[in-house]
Amino acid sequence: MSSYTELIKNFEKIRDYIREFYIYGFKSREEFNKKSSRSYDDEKRRIESYLEGYMGFRNSKSGKRIFINIDSRKVKANPLYRALKSKSFTDNDITLHFILMDIFVNNSKLSVSEIKEKIYINYLSYFDIEKSFDDKTIANKLNEYVKIGLLSVEKIGKQNIYDIVVDKIELSKFKDIILFFSEVGFCGVIGSYLLDKLDNKDSSFIFKHHYIVQAIDSEVLYKLFDAMSNKESIIISNYTRHSNVEREIEVIPIKIFVSVQSGRQYLIAYNNIMEDFRSYRLDYITKVKEGNVVNNFNKLRRDFAERVQGNMWGVVCNKNHMQHIEFTINIDEDELYILDRLRREKRCGSIEKIDDNTYKFKADVFDASEVVTWIRTFICRIKDIHFSNKALEDRFKKDIKDMYKLYDIE
Amino acid sequence: MLFNEIYGLYYNTVSKILSKAIDNNLKNEDIEKIIRENAFNESNLIIPRLLKENKWLLLDENYKTPIKNKPDRPMTILEKRWLKSILIDKRVKLFMDISPDILEDIKPLFTEDDYVLFDKYNDGDPYESEEYIYNFRKILSAIKSNSPLLLSYFNRKNILNKAIVKPEKLEYSEKDDKFRLVTSGCSYLRLVRLSKIKYCKILTDYKLNNNHFMPKDNKENIVIELIDYRNALERVMIHFSHFEKEAERVSYNKYRIKIYYDSSDRTEMVIRILSFGPFVKVIEPESFIDLIKERLKKQKNLWT
Repeated sequence: MSSYTELIKNFEKIRDYIREFYIYGFKSREEFNKKSSRSYDDEKRRIESYLEGYMGFRNSKSGKRIFINIDSRKVKANPLYRALKSKSFTDNDITLHFILMDIFVNNSKLSVSEIKEKIYINYLSYFDIEKSFDDKTIANKLNEYVKIGLLSVEKIGKQNIYDIVVDKIELSKFKDIILFFSEVGFCGVIGSYLLDKLDNKDSSFIFKHHYIVQAIDSEVLYKLFDAMSNKESIIISNYTRHSNVEREIEVIPIKIFVSVQSGRQYLIAYNNIMEDFRSYRLDYITKVKEGNVVNNFNKLRRDFAERVQGNMWGVVCNKNHMQHIEFTINIDEDELYILDRLRREKRCGSIEKIDDNTYKFKADVFDASEVVTWIRTFICRIKDIHFSNKALEDRFKKDIKDMYKLYDIE
Repeated sequence: MLFNEIYGLYYNTVSKILSKAIDNNLKNEDIEKIIRENAFNESNLIIPRLLKENKWLLLDENYKTPIKNKPDRPMTILEKRWLKSILIDKRVKLFMDISPDILEDIKPLFTEDDYVLFDKYNDGDPYESEEYIYNFRKILSAIKSNSPLLLSYFNRKNILNKAIVKPEKLEYSEKDDKFRLVTSGCSYLRLVRLSKIKYCKILTDYKLNNNHFMPKDNKENIVIELIDYRNALERVMIHFSHFEKEAERVSYNKYRIKIYYDSSDRTEMVIRILSFGPFVKVIEPESFIDLIKERLKKQKNLWT
């Protein structure tokens, strides 16, 4: 039986739990049915350790319910980033890290054997225990650090010669920029890693409508950006809610679509088998594996921008026929701010003035049901509405009537 | 890899412990304090033991270390690529002018060709405006130096007004794509949009009263009941996830959620609640229910 450790090897292990505790916060231990009780207890304990001060619980008839409670407008830095700083490592990893970084402060251009000698003479022999690192262990760590950019390597004769990479910029000059973008930029946790290198992290910023939970999808998002930057396809493990199964699909990532009003993030990708563009929720993607170089990547992106994007209200982009939607709203003379609302909130389509108090919005979109949520925000002004999809129109009207009933409007 | 131990809190914490040891004044209580301030809640049960047991050969039993220089590491490629992406964002000009030579050999992790914020409002702040950039930099400088500011700004009626304030924070909303200045020290100006500020000046010699006006916490709450139909539960919970909230299941597919919000956002909350249609019903407080009813009654009178 394995014993509990505070750190973890794979973030995916706790990603679901954090989401459940933060987004929902009302499920009992028994409702986490995908996992064992032991796993639930361990992950809950870890998250409590990572997010001390933000975790709480409520007792109910069916047991204790754990939640994460954060008012994201009040925090200066996303607390969930702490959970992404929990990667486990070996004793050798941490020992070698600090020794290697120390060696290269006063030395440059060293071979593995020179490094090995310095490690033993200057560091390991300091302790009263017998310990050494073999060439392979040292070379593996050096090559790992070359790969992530801490060290450089050049071949001189038959030997690999290693050196530290010198930063060309003074990070502290960019502190305010990093403080801001570590919260609003994509993969902001990387900004948080940079801030950990600086002493004073006092921020002058706070954030409204701030969906901090996106942090837990950072690893997936990073791999998608990396694939787009390399113009490569990817193999994603995607959970489909309707069938409750996880499938592996090879797709070509085209763009990341983000809703800043709901916090949801999507991958828009070209599906070679279905021969169309589709959207995939980022929080449903559990794994991203590298695929192959895509020769027509730029053409696909252009195609998406020219043929598809202009008729997307949300993220649906693979319907064969456009759906028409139009509605008119009443705007009194002293309510021109409502017209401003129409203009600033519309994502496609057009606005037409019918008379002094009536304005019409119309659009052709892939999925008119995506517009419904927005139209409802104009309740109290809607004079008329038409959908080419009559079933959707009937549903919209019935929903409004149901709302009257809900609030006893005679 | 983004999830890597070199970015972890353990490495950061050990780095701080070693720095103190290099200064030759590390004590047991310092180790505990550094861990408490920098690592996780249970780390004090783990890090001291591993250091003392010489599992990590970095510190001896007298808290001395063979490490000679205060630990640091260069930026990784991942960090440089992220920073490069940030430095080409149009909002970065608000902070400073960026030379195109910075990180010129680094490929950005993402550019604006890679993403779309599809429901961001279309009337975001004018990040290219020289006046706006000037004001942003002055305000940021005043916040950092704790200095009072003289503001000349357009009020709600679009009339130019003046105020002396203590700038507290810059608040940014990605949805609105706008900055607001949060102030104290002025009874009639708590929040002002940056784009409404015509001019600002740091008042270096001006002393604000120590008992200056502090804005109150204007938090209020609503309680909603939700029927989980057409995936309403997930949509609502994610939509309101940025607020402090309490949720409970009251029956098979019925949920009750209490959401705390700032009273200045009441109208926005009414609109957001209405957007969920008949699956969400506000049950408290009466005053908020009246706001919903008022809109529904007006709608019923309009409907033909």
